[in-house]
Amino acid sequence: MKRFGLLAATAILALAAYSGAAEAQSCPIKIGGLTPLSAPGAVGAGEGMRAAMLIAEKDINAAGGILGCDLKVIIADTEGLPEKASAMMEKLITQDGVVAVGGAYHSSVGVASKDVANNRKIPVVFAETWNDTITGDKQKFIFRIAPLSSWASSTLWQAALLVPNIKKVAILTENTDYGIPAAQETSKGLASGGVEAVTFSVDIGTQDYAGIVERMKAEKPDYIIVLATGEAGYNFAQQAADAGMGPQDIPFQAGQVALESKAYWENVPDGNFAFVQRIGTPANLWSEKALALNEAYKAVTNRGVIESYSMEAYDSIAILAQAINEAGTTDGDAIVAALEGISHEGTLGRIYFPYGTKKDPSVDGKGDEWWHQWPDVALTMIQYQEEGQSSVDAPIVWPDAYKTGEPIYVNQ
Amino acid sequence: MEFPHIFWGVFGWMIFWAVTGSIATRYFYLRRDLDTSNAPFVGAMLGASTGPIGLVPLCLNTPELTTRLMVMPALASVGVLMIAFGFADPENFCVANGSFVASQIVNGLIIGIIYGFMALGLTLIFSILGVVSFAHGEFYMIGGMITYFLTKVWLPGINPILAISLACLAAFAIGAAFERMFLTPMYEGKVDRPVEYGILVTFGLAFTIQYFVQATAGANPLKASRYFDFPRIRLPSSADPWLIKTSRGNMELFETISISNPRFTAAVMCIIVFGALMFFLHRTWTGKALRAVSQDREAAAIAGINPDRMNMLAFALGGMIAALAGAMLVQAFSWLPQVGAIPAMRSFVILVLGGLGSIPGAFVGGVIVGLFEAAGTGCLPDPQKAASYIPAYGMIILTLTLLLRPTGLFGRRFATGAHGKF
Amino acid sequence: MTRSRIPQAAGLFLVLFFAIFPFVYSANDYPYIMHTLIACFYYAILASSWSMLSGYAGQFSFGHMGFTGVGAYTAALFSHYFYLSPVPTGFCTEFLIGDQYLVIVDAIGVTSSTLTQDCLRKALAVWDGSVQITPMPVWLGIALGTIMGGVFGLLIGLLVLPLRAAYLALFTLGFSEILRATISAEIAITRGQAGIELPYLFDSGITLFGRHFDKTDKLPPYFVMLFLLLTCLAIMFWLTKSKFGLFVRALREDQDAAAALGVNTTRYKILVFVITSMMAAAAGAVMAHYIRIITPNNLMILQMSLVVAMAVIGGVENVIAAAIGAILINFALELLRNSFEIGPFTLDMTIWRLVVFGVLLMVTLRFFRNGLIAPLIDHFTRGHVAAETVAQRKVAADQAGGAS
Repeated sequence: MKRFGLLAATAILALAAYSGAAEAQSCPIKIGGLTPLSAPGAVGAGEGMRAAMLIAEKDINAAGGILGCDLKVIIADTEGLPEKASAMMEKLITQDGVVAVGGAYHSSVGVASKDVANNRKIPVVFAETWNDTITGDKQKFIFRIAPLSSWASSTLWQAALLVPNIKKVAILTENTDYGIPAAQETSKGLASGGVEAVTFSVDIGTQDYAGIVERMKAEKPDYIIVLATGEAGYNFAQQAADAGMGPQDIPFQAGQVALESKAYWENVPDGNFAFVQRIGTPANLWSEKALALNEAYKAVTNRGVIESYSMEAYDSIAILAQAINEAGTTDGDAIVAALEGISHEGTLGRIYFPYGTKKDPSVDGKGDEWWHQWPDVALTMIQYQEEGQSSVDAPIVWPDAYKTGEPIYVNQ
Repeated sequence: MEFPHIFWGVFGWMIFWAVTGSIATRYFYLRRDLDTSNAPFVGAMLGASTGPIGLVPLCLNTPELTTRLMVMPALASVGVLMIAFGFADPENFCVANGSFVASQIVNGLIIGIIYGFMALGLTLIFSILGVVSFAHGEFYMIGGMITYFLTKVWLPGINPILAISLACLAAFAIGAAFERMFLTPMYEGKVDRPVEYGILVTFGLAFTIQYFVQATAGANPLKASRYFDFPRIRLPSSADPWLIKTSRGNMELFETISISNPRFTAAVMCIIVFGALMFFLHRTWTGKALRAVSQDREAAAIAGINPDRMNMLAFALGGMIAALAGAMLVQAFSWLPQVGAIPAMRSFVILVLGGLGSIPGAFVGGVIVGLFEAAGTGCLPDPQKAASYIPAYGMIILTLTLLLRPTGLFGRRFATGAHGKF
Repeated sequence: MTRSRIPQAAGLFLVLFFAIFPFVYSANDYPYIMHTLIACFYYAILASSWSMLSGYAGQFSFGHMGFTGVGAYTAALFSHYFYLSPVPTGFCTEFLIGDQYLVIVDAIGVTSSTLTQDCLRKALAVWDGSVQITPMPVWLGIALGTIMGGVFGLLIGLLVLPLRAAYLALFTLGFSEILRATISAEIAITRGQAGIELPYLFDSGITLFGRHFDKTDKLPPYFVMLFLLLTCLAIMFWLTKSKFGLFVRALREDQDAAAALGVNTTRYKILVFVITSMMAAAAGAVMAHYIRIITPNNLMILQMSLVVAMAVIGGVENVIAAAIGAILINFALELLRNSFEIGPFTLDMTIWRLVVFGVLLMVTLRFFRNGLIAPLIDHFTRGHVAAETVAQRKVAADQAGGAS
């Protein structure tokens, strides 16, 4: 009887192994990549992320693939629209049969699509969606390697408070779920330092900022913060510079898009001395892996340097590949278990998720948004100090831990 | 706003009397068998500015509605609204800060001239073909794209004027070819409803061009470098240049108003080309023929003008003007395949405001829209909302114009052609 | 005689096909195909009601997406801000209705952290699960949305009475744009571009014929949308066949002549506006509950252009052809998302498919004036186009030919 039990156990194990193998046989293993490729999404960023995710696919396959299979990254265009995002998530999972999903740029895309994936038990590692609620809902299959919006905002206001004699800050924000909360948090933070903030929010499609710039000018701010993605960030910076309110005239924190230095200098020729927030390990501390990615990325996209969102996109795919390898199966629950225990040497740094099903964030007195959230996202502030400078060469001026140069405050 | 009840009270009062006025005036003019085409407008404006004091005599006497009777109440109601706003929000920059007001007005004027110019092509097309071209924004986009690629990628160092001319030529060719291929059935009466056909088929063109460009040229924001630098001027003296001070990219007047180089060159170019266009339309045979066709198609045909050829010329010329505007502004605004949407929307507003088909109307309409937008972004008390509403300002003008005076500022009813009915 | 039955048979077949399809089809991509079909039905309602308004009645409107927005946002705001509670919350504005309190939640706008809470969440935190609040019924929101669509349709219909052709198109475009800008700007209430979330169409699932469907199941929304489409088509078909249809047609052909002949043009013009905008609003509200988020981007001119193009390619003067056109085109657009590899070239169809679509639109307009589907139907049921219309067109063509 005992022997029979053993036999049965072996048989079940063998069967399980076989079925696992059978699952692994269904090559190639597919991972979805969400990215905005048409308007009104941020197409420029989307194209960069697509390139990075396809490089990740190539790198992983060159290193032997996943579970003996080739990896195939299926790109899906979210258009930056929540309704498209959930449809695309649905398509990736049910039509293309992906086992996990990476990428995503717009916060609204993350908010709308996470439920679909969670209901279908498909793990997602979001790359560049900042809104706190994405992980704040504590869903089992949702991970994020981007910073929380509240962290990113705190970099902004902490750096702003260091500006000498600062009394008033003008914030230009896009009226989206990235811009509005970020503006609120930044204002709140500034208020805690005794600095007043005036927020101007614009429709993303706006081209002509002359009226807003004049109005900002009349407010006499000491510092300007731009929270606009896409070409809006460029248009505003250059038009502010035209009107004598640009980065060369007063301390000016340009939007995320300014990291794409080649496009930045083309669109904002008068944009020297702008501060830009950077996510991920600073360029001077880049690992071999990050440097190699940068070279490959530059060759594919013809851009000056890799942007942080593209590095995040690359890592989101790579970390999923590692998790699947460690799980030994493409089963969603197993991948989640692997992700919760993962230590991944990514291009952004060592990625891990301290809180999740095994350890609730509340144990350490943290908020729900720390759930499945990579805590060590390095947030730095760089400053362009020479015209035409690459965002990699630009000195890091904040925080002190990473500092490579002193900030220049133009109007002092 | 400090005393919102003042503003909203006055506003509500004005709206009430405007509505009453427009309905009552129309009723009284209709009863006396008079021309009612302007009655609602005059009634609304007089009602808004004077309330029952002006309305009662108007309705009782039903005088002839002269231009003066139309302009004065309109200006008066704007004035009343401004005064109410001034009392309601005395802290607002628009009320308290003179140099702010001056720079907003200059901004509004400059962008208005540019808007007017964008709408010129659309107006020209409408006056000859009776078609509202929904591909107008795409011609604008093509103009910017070709100029950018010529000056920066294909032939760096090329004279910008030459690049702009080439872009215009390309737009002209596309316009002419499209008109020959797709718009000809309209004139031959093969199409049931030519106006709708025109809108739809240009819509198709817009769709095709926009996505074709996105698929081939990508969607990264691009921008051409400044075409010209300002010469260095310091007046009256270089030590104290309070009158005018220029740097390469900027001009400052009276130490308060700053005008950026790309805008300035664009606006100047727009005025020059506008003058040239007026000369062409009024002094050359072809131009006169164009105008003749716009006034009376059949009579022009009898006089030996080939309306068919004029159609092609007008559509191509309209596209070319849009491309020129795009080429001038690719140095001011970052270019994307979707960049044409905003000029197209503004052009629609101006087309209606100026009076469908009136070329001076387009220019005046452009300036009015520019000023209205400047006032909206500058004066709306909540800075968060002021800028968010920018897309709506123009559309509010459009709907108001259509409701009160569908012929626009300089409009006339057309005698013939597809636009005979409105 | 039997020939003219063919379209009816084909129509019946189509309806049967769509009714049976979800039960027969069982491939892996079932949810995705179902999702696509639901979107197809949605666009079919929009395209057919637009073709009723623009093709049949000649009221060329660009504001149709505006009405779907009215419907969707009414439903969304209703479900977002109104709740029923057995005990007063103490934080919110509330009224006692019967034995329940109607709770109106305060607007907190867009926040990125979960810390900021509206008054109801605060109350729920205090109660800690001891009180059950009831959300408003979804059907009521959809009904309200439909009614609001009708009200807006009435208003717009009244305002556009004196306008025709290009003026009408521009006015309705203006309406739609103002609505979009307002929704984007009033973030505190509408949550702007962040979009407002809605409950599931059937939040607690639904049991039909002894089978329980989960709230995420695609089958119930599929049939709701299909039913809505068929209802709209039936109403419109009936209208076109009745005296109403005749008058509305007269409106299009020659408004002044129709008025002279004693047709109350004002009444019919407004009626057709109200009916079609109610259909658009209902479709918008149902779709919003199915997608579960609505953003102002839905009102963008791009969306409108898709609907217009679908109706035109199907056949703008025939509501059923427009609906079929919309279903086919939306399905094709979804299928064409994948990229093709032809030899060394990779054609990214994500963008190229729209180029093809634009060319198709232009070519259809130029060479197939009645669309691609409508002539097929007409081919079998000749005689529906009034002989006078044909004659009139011929005369017009002759005249124009003679003049130039």
